[in-house]
Amino acid sequence: MTVNEVQTTCAYCGAGCQILFKVDPEQNKILEAVPAHGRTNESTLCLKGHYGWDYINDPQILTKRLKNPLIRKGGKGSPLEEVGWDEAISYTANRLMEIKQKHGPDAIMCTGSARGPGNEANYVMQKFTRAAIGTNNVDHCARI
Amino acid sequence: MSNGVHEIEDAKLLFVFGYNGADSHPIVARRIVRAKRKGAQIICVDPRRIETARIADLHLQLKNGSNLALVNSIAHVIIEEGLCDDKFIAEHSSGFDEFKELCKKYSPEAVTGITQVHPDDIRKAARMYATSGQSMILYGMGVCQFAQAVNVVKGLANLAIMTGNFGRWGVGIGPVRGQNNVQGACDMGALPNSYPGYQNVTVPEIRAKFEKAWGVPLSDKVGIPLTQVPHYVLHEPEAKKIRAYYVFGEDPAQSDPDLAEVRESLEKLELVILQDIYMNRTAIYADVILPSTGWNEHDGVFSCCDRGFQRIRKVIDPPADANVLTDWEIISRISTAMGYPMKYRNTEEIWNEVIDLCPSFTGATYEKLEKYGNIQWPCRSKGMEDKGTSYLHKDGKFANPDGKAKFSSIDWQPPTELENNEYPLIFSTAREVGHYSVRTMSGNCRLLRNLEDEPGWIQMNPALCEELGVKHGELVKVISKRGHCVTRCLPTDRVKKQAVYMTYQWWIGACNELTIASLDPISNTPEYKYCACRVEKIEDQAWAESYVLREYENIRLSMGIDVAKGRKAI
Amino acid sequence: MNRYVQGDPLLCIGCRTCTIACVVAHEGKRIYEIDPDGYDFHPRLKVIKTFNVSVPVQCKHCENPACKSVCQSGAIRVQDGTVLIDRDKCIGCKSCTEACPFGAVHMVPLGFQLNPDGTRRSVAHKCDLCHGLEGGPACKRVCPTEALRLVESEDLAELLAMKRTKVLMTASSPEINRPV
Repeated sequence: MTVNEVQTTCAYCGAGCQILFKVDPEQNKILEAVPAHGRTNESTLCLKGHYGWDYINDPQILTKRLKNPLIRKGGKGSPLEEVGWDEAISYTANRLMEIKQKHGPDAIMCTGSARGPGNEANYVMQKFTRAAIGTNNVDHCARI
Repeated sequence: MSNGVHEIEDAKLLFVFGYNGADSHPIVARRIVRAKRKGAQIICVDPRRIETARIADLHLQLKNGSNLALVNSIAHVIIEEGLCDDKFIAEHSSGFDEFKELCKKYSPEAVTGITQVHPDDIRKAARMYATSGQSMILYGMGVCQFAQAVNVVKGLANLAIMTGNFGRWGVGIGPVRGQNNVQGACDMGALPNSYPGYQNVTVPEIRAKFEKAWGVPLSDKVGIPLTQVPHYVLHEPEAKKIRAYYVFGEDPAQSDPDLAEVRESLEKLELVILQDIYMNRTAIYADVILPSTGWNEHDGVFSCCDRGFQRIRKVIDPPADANVLTDWEIISRISTAMGYPMKYRNTEEIWNEVIDLCPSFTGATYEKLEKYGNIQWPCRSKGMEDKGTSYLHKDGKFANPDGKAKFSSIDWQPPTELENNEYPLIFSTAREVGHYSVRTMSGNCRLLRNLEDEPGWIQMNPALCEELGVKHGELVKVISKRGHCVTRCLPTDRVKKQAVYMTYQWWIGACNELTIASLDPISNTPEYKYCACRVEKIEDQAWAESYVLREYENIRLSMGIDVAKGRKAI
Repeated sequence: MNRYVQGDPLLCIGCRTCTIACVVAHEGKRIYEIDPDGYDFHPRLKVIKTFNVSVPVQCKHCENPACKSVCQSGAIRVQDGTVLIDRDKCIGCKSCTEACPFGAVHMVPLGFQLNPDGTRRSVAHKCDLCHGLEGGPACKRVCPTEALRLVESEDLAELLAMKRTKVLMTASSPEINRPV
């Protein structure tokens, strides 16, 4: 069996530990997480670093992985229905434009994410909020 | 953090204030342990007997909510006993005289009623901190999650300035950031008052720079902080109301204070967009759900707590049946559909745009991140020789217009909701070491779930347990003015009798049903560490156990889990 | 001499990474493949926390184990410097749990094995120093603060030498006569 190794940064706290993931590329599966050398962690990991990755395989424990865009087509209270990306994007964009036109850009609030998405996604989100919507109403869960 | 995590173990004295590293960052706590082994002295300031308190030379077990009174009192002793670094104060600071005046009334004897710390211990702490020659302050949510929070941070900074503990190796002041990329979200300008790189939206020249780069006029009005969203949905006049909320990688319906109010505002909003990897509590209120890739399924950069940029890499593909996109692709496509085209091919392209707009990040190229692994900003030059900055304020230079550190003279103020006859106990939130945040990730990890699961625990002093007649493991009801929840009793003499603590990860033992949305006026951080509550014994334990099981099943059902499949996870 | 894993309360931060490592070492990586409720989560050590101490407690692998002496079914043996329990032989009488002075032996239900009367079968359970597993005790390997060590006879000899020297030095130090 081929085993690939990919090094990345842990997503469980601000310590920024380096983890080496061993991966089975054929089955697209993580096999194991081992500590890698990083400036802050010096080849050590805590329990979340060692054992906090199998959520990605959707083990159906607490919550279900979201696998398709969903929209409440019948409005508030109606069930969420699976749709394709094109429909989800245009629905979202249209609803946001409607609200912006009617109430101004400051009626819209967006969040960044202090968790898994990474810096680039946060940059794009605040740029979208400021340049596309036209408001500085962007913030994130820094305080919890 | 003004200094690097790797510097902690070289400090001669660690002043650990409201920071429980063992539970929030075990790998940072490791440095505290190593510092101790290398001979450093440790002062721990915490109302609980946390792990750091056990190994500390001095533990100031202060009363919850008395932070600034204690900090100002330590400053009082440093001044009174002539332990200031006069040269540093004269050359690198401003506002000392006013501060000196303020401190006069904070003698250890004067504050002992507030802090419940013996005056001798305050004196001892002040001497130790001021005379070690290399003292570093580490603080955490025990400072930040109060209605008086930023001012305590300023108070701690006062201590470092007055003793010259800035701008060198192994000194400074370290807010150890909790979530993995909270530093990064701030760095990238996911803040209502600043563009990426801490460039203020109200400064015309800066705004002009971003207008030019992004090709559109930008708003000069500071935005709304996240914690004020419920207020702007429910209580502002029509013209100022928030009507659409685009929630990205967060779960306000679980993580924000006073959940009853959060739910009310989510119901009222015209449009709730949720972009996430797992179902969560906010999803119940969402009109649109946009599924994205999770950690390990995409590339990018994180910023760790000491300003260190590090790469994250795609480890595996998303599951074959998951029709998901990366977060930046989803947002770019919505933006393009709204008439503001964003076309990026990969994260490096985005990152290059970021660093070119932010002078303090300019040198942190992907090439250097690959080569050096970790670059702490500021890193201004793209040349390979600029490897970033381990500690800030070198040579006593500070980011104020006059280049000096400014003393802040601020009085202590008590927390918002004090204990009373109906709610006689102090309620504070804490962290579960094996879980993360709202648990959409760690709650779906088999082994972390095995270690701790719903409905969590409430830490109570054994004497309190005895008074209430509750035993280890029994389910109890915790009640505040705003709501209640059910959790398990954990008797421990590591907490005082006057206060109880719950970890904030649980959905059944949801402590945010109790917490108060009282915000620090500057940071808008809620007072998660202080409100009034009472604990009630539940006579019918069998009923309570079945209630918890039923609730858990309901949660899993509402989160899309096929409950019939597999055994109970509890 | 039998070996044993010893925790240092001055280094332990009570994080319980060791606790999970123990389960993973014994259940194997199949944990990540199977139904999330399809394996037993029975750590063989227990992190205890008192006012002044946090430390994992586990079997000391005694030279003359009380658990072994009281075992009626011959389920406990000493092999390769390790005290081991044979689950198949264990009759679940709990004598070892009562006899162990350290609280290091406890009873665990075996997830999918039943007694003849249909009840879940419970057996005695304790640290086996990851006997037969590659890499030695897993708890020690993962501890982020190096609070756990595997004590072998030479370590004990070193410790003794150090203690004796320390006593000597204290006794001959002029500080001893200094008025307090």
